[in-house]
Amino acid sequence: MASSHKPDHTIQSHLEAAGVSRRSFLQLCSVLMATAPVGMTLTKAASAAEVAARVGKARRPSVIWLHFQDCTGCTETLLRTSAPDAASLILDVISLDYHETLMAASGKQAEDALKKAMEENAGKYVLVVEGSIPTRDDGVYMQLASRPAVQVVKEAASKAAAVIAIGSCASWGGVGSADPNPTGAMGVDSVVSGKPIVNLPGCPPNPYNLLAVVLEYVTMGKLPQLDDLHRPVFAYDRVIHENCPRRAHFDAGRFAAAFGDEGHRKGWCLYKMGCKGPITHASCSTRPFNETPNCWPIGLGIPCLGCTEKNVVWKMATVETVPIHLATPPDTYPPIYSGAGKIKTGAAVLVGAIAGAVGSASWVASQRFKSSEEAGVERIAADRELADKEAAAAKAKKEV
Amino acid sequence: MITKIAKTGASGAVAVTIGTHAVREEGEVIRIPSTAVGLLYDATICIGCKACVAACAEANDTPPDTRLDGLHQAPDDLNDVTRNIIKLYKPTDGTPSSYVKRQCMHCLDPACAAGCPFQALAKDPETGIVSWTADKCIGCRYCTITCPYHVPRFQWIGYNPRVTKCELCSHRLEQGLKPGCTTVCPTGAVIYGPRTVLLSEAKRRIKENPGRYYENKVYGETDNGGTQSLYLARVPFEDLGLPEIGPESVPAKTLRWQRRFYQYFALPALLYAGLVQVIRKSVKGHVQEAHDHEKETGLRAQL
Amino acid sequence: MSALTSNKFDVLLAAETRTRPEERWQRAVPVFGVPVVTSSFLVLVALTLVALVLTGYRELAGLGPVSGMTDAFGWGIWKTFNVMVLTALGSGAFAIGIAAWVFRRKKLHQLMRMALLTSFLAYACGLLLLGIDAGRPWNFYWIVFPWKWNMHSPLAEVAICMSIYAMIPLAVENIPPVLERLWYFDSRLRPGVEKMEKHLHSVFPYIIAMAYLLPGMHQSSLGALMLLAGERVHPLWQTPFLPLLYVWAACFMSFGCVAGTTMLCCLVWKRAMDMDVLDEAARITCWLIYGWAALRLIDISFREQLGTAFRFDRFAGVFWIEMIAIIGGGVLLQQSLRAHDKGKMFLGYVVSSIGGMIYRFSPTTLAFRPNPQALYFPATIEILVSLGFIAMGVAGFLIAVKRLAILPGPLYLWHDMASYFRFRRPYIRWTGYFKYGFFGEDEQISQDNSHS
Repeated sequence: MASSHKPDHTIQSHLEAAGVSRRSFLQLCSVLMATAPVGMTLTKAASAAEVAARVGKARRPSVIWLHFQDCTGCTETLLRTSAPDAASLILDVISLDYHETLMAASGKQAEDALKKAMEENAGKYVLVVEGSIPTRDDGVYMQLASRPAVQVVKEAASKAAAVIAIGSCASWGGVGSADPNPTGAMGVDSVVSGKPIVNLPGCPPNPYNLLAVVLEYVTMGKLPQLDDLHRPVFAYDRVIHENCPRRAHFDAGRFAAAFGDEGHRKGWCLYKMGCKGPITHASCSTRPFNETPNCWPIGLGIPCLGCTEKNVVWKMATVETVPIHLATPPDTYPPIYSGAGKIKTGAAVLVGAIAGAVGSASWVASQRFKSSEEAGVERIAADRELADKEAAAAKAKKEV
Repeated sequence: MITKIAKTGASGAVAVTIGTHAVREEGEVIRIPSTAVGLLYDATICIGCKACVAACAEANDTPPDTRLDGLHQAPDDLNDVTRNIIKLYKPTDGTPSSYVKRQCMHCLDPACAAGCPFQALAKDPETGIVSWTADKCIGCRYCTITCPYHVPRFQWIGYNPRVTKCELCSHRLEQGLKPGCTTVCPTGAVIYGPRTVLLSEAKRRIKENPGRYYENKVYGETDNGGTQSLYLARVPFEDLGLPEIGPESVPAKTLRWQRRFYQYFALPALLYAGLVQVIRKSVKGHVQEAHDHEKETGLRAQL
Repeated sequence: MSALTSNKFDVLLAAETRTRPEERWQRAVPVFGVPVVTSSFLVLVALTLVALVLTGYRELAGLGPVSGMTDAFGWGIWKTFNVMVLTALGSGAFAIGIAAWVFRRKKLHQLMRMALLTSFLAYACGLLLLGIDAGRPWNFYWIVFPWKWNMHSPLAEVAICMSIYAMIPLAVENIPPVLERLWYFDSRLRPGVEKMEKHLHSVFPYIIAMAYLLPGMHQSSLGALMLLAGERVHPLWQTPFLPLLYVWAACFMSFGCVAGTTMLCCLVWKRAMDMDVLDEAARITCWLIYGWAALRLIDISFREQLGTAFRFDRFAGVFWIEMIAIIGGGVLLQQSLRAHDKGKMFLGYVVSSIGGMIYRFSPTTLAFRPNPQALYFPATIEILVSLGFIAMGVAGFLIAVKRLAILPGPLYLWHDMASYFRFRRPYIRWTGYFKYGFFGEDEQISQDNSHS
């Protein structure tokens, strides 16, 4: 690790000393601007040169990086850059004073290095925590030099200026906290208090988010705007769905149904395969990993798992579809006239039956008038006969 | 009896003549509200992004209409939760297509308000906005039938149905904001302002862009007696669903004789007086006959 | 009493087409010898109950789930059929009343009670469905405040006028048969009944005049309702004369309904028919029909829309069905007058009424084109509710006609009825007539001269 422990070195002077070209530095600054277009004072500048000037004036920050129950993926993401300059550039801008993966020391030398770094830069260093912290059974499941992780992190945080929890494990417990969570894995903010904590969840998170947060703190003296889960707003204010490169397919209603089917091969939206993009706050859809587009699950045709969200990634099934909270208009258009009605068979039958009944009843009735007429004529005649007979009989009786 | 009929007939004729003249004087001119506000929608600028559809739902606190497919806010027409919609006119013969934004036209003489039995739909005398009051509405849906633009929509589900239509975001206007649709339009296709200003702006656009607009016409200047939502387009307005109605408003044209007949209730009252006279005589005669019949048959008269 | 009655209690049918003097209708007589509760009556009651249950469902679920109404067709069959069509059939009080009272056609007075009863029941059915069809009926109370009415609105005019009409003139004019029954039922009630009758008779001219003005107003306003829809009603129907055509159609339809119903009742309950009265009604109906058809055809030609009647679409089809039914009905009536054919007369009434029903129904549904694709067809629940309330009206009619003196009949029928109650079913005192005696005398006195 190339580093200078001189505390008064500005970043500008260090970069010059290290022989880093101004062009690369400006490139890094424009990447920073793209990383954090809003939510950070550092990048609210008119040009990369302005950002470079701000960064250049700042002192090279001391960063202590602690690993706990981790897979070291967050460190790898910092190193996995396709342009080697950028990785080393990052390492030139910050002074990584303790990093178990990257430093040469081990054993007692490593312990001493940690102590020395914490004492020399007390109150000024930025503590980056990677990995979850076990809390069950007095935290015996992860120990650093025979001291439980809980103790280590509390001690390190007490002397730090700010704490950055990188990765989902450090932010809220990560994979270690999945059911049944045998170690009682927790994020940093459950264990440490009294210090400003920034969570950068993700499995792994984007390295430029880390760099942006650190530089903002170092140049402006304050952390970027955070949401209620202590995540920087510039990276975690939107869900993947809002900026997803496959969004056009979602809007057009083109969905892949299974791995390898026609839609999947054409790169259609993965919503129906259980993509958690609509409920996952992260910056993956706009800032590529490894400076390579499509170097992320959706880009490879794998539905997003929601690795930044505690309630999503190891709680919901991969194929479980999620509700869309912010329904937006599709790319199809209604025609000028819409809404054709349809005729339901049951009702049509009923109407037909009624009409038929009324019609036939009227016809039958009209016929009955005729027959009743004829019947009436006979009836009247018969009755008249009967009446005459009775009258005659009565007359005869009277005479008798 | 003939002289009586002649007398009533003559007075009736006089009343009708006076009555119709009275109506002709006052009822035929449509009053434009003092601070009439409205929208100007230029279909030639609209890109069909539908931001106005989403913004309208948000401004009016209505849930997005996902009933069609459960995923997208995809209403296919105005309905009980959609006050504003973008439709596409796409002819198959290669002539130009056009988007059209449909919402309430806020007519100067609204047919919906003319037909509403208890004035639940009423035109504000100052701003000219036609708005719906829940307390007066009986849910008869006459407004859905009379509106020539088919704008008001009834809520078909539920025991407390409402009538939904654009009300120019009057709740936002009170706070000094603009209607939701106009604040998000990225191209400025729909703009809000006083009707006079919008009309002169529309005419300016027509003048400075000859040949761009269909028949150099602003729809709504005089159509249907004038509306407060004005339209400019490059295709015939009929194809966009805006019917050709003419300069006379629908209520004025169709209810003219109805209004004259019932003016001041004079004619019905006169008719009633005449009827009473005639019937009194008939009743007298009928009662007389009934009593005679009763004497004949010994059965009680049925009157 | 004529010898023809003899000892038989079965009534004779009048075979002669010209009424014999003793068979002339002179009195309204209740239908006796027939129980109220028959199997068909029970069917009607069942239909009514079904409709009431479905109405409850409609109030809770809203209008969408129970009907075929959509945004395109805001009015289904409740407003357009039960209100517009049935109240036209129920304009008997209006049409026959005007003929009898204003134009002094004395013979038609015999049909007045039938006309009043059918009108009352039709309007009751129509107004109930108007209330059910309204989406927010609890706001109907605004009707009590005249300054809240929108006097330009035809619908306000219809609702207000119909309510006043049904509640005042129609109800008041239907009270005399009830009072009459009370008079016969209990002699102790007679002073009160006579006093009420006197009050009624003093206001009769005013009530009757109201009973002609109000229906004239709202039947024409029912036509004016669709004027506001403008171009959306097909030009074969849409005309500035729509109110006049609607009122006129109501006239001949109600003649058909009342006379036809009377003929049917006489047929079913074997009562003599007075062809003088029915011929008079048929003559008037005929002229009404021809005049109406002439006005409609002239109006269509003047507006140059006659060509649309000869296209091959559903509108032309409906138009021709209507016109053929109406004019055909008129022709049948005219022929029946000449041939003294009662069956033809009945058919003429039925066919012309059905044609008129289709005519009044069309502008709101069959001839209404809100947009080129929209179609409307009622849902099953909608039809059942409509049917159920019609069944309620018919059931009410059956009860009334068997318990009150509504249906006209010859004089001897009244005496037959008296004998029937006296000798055949003397234990049935509660049927109302002749509980305390014949001609209103006490039972004791008349039993001394008991002798049929």
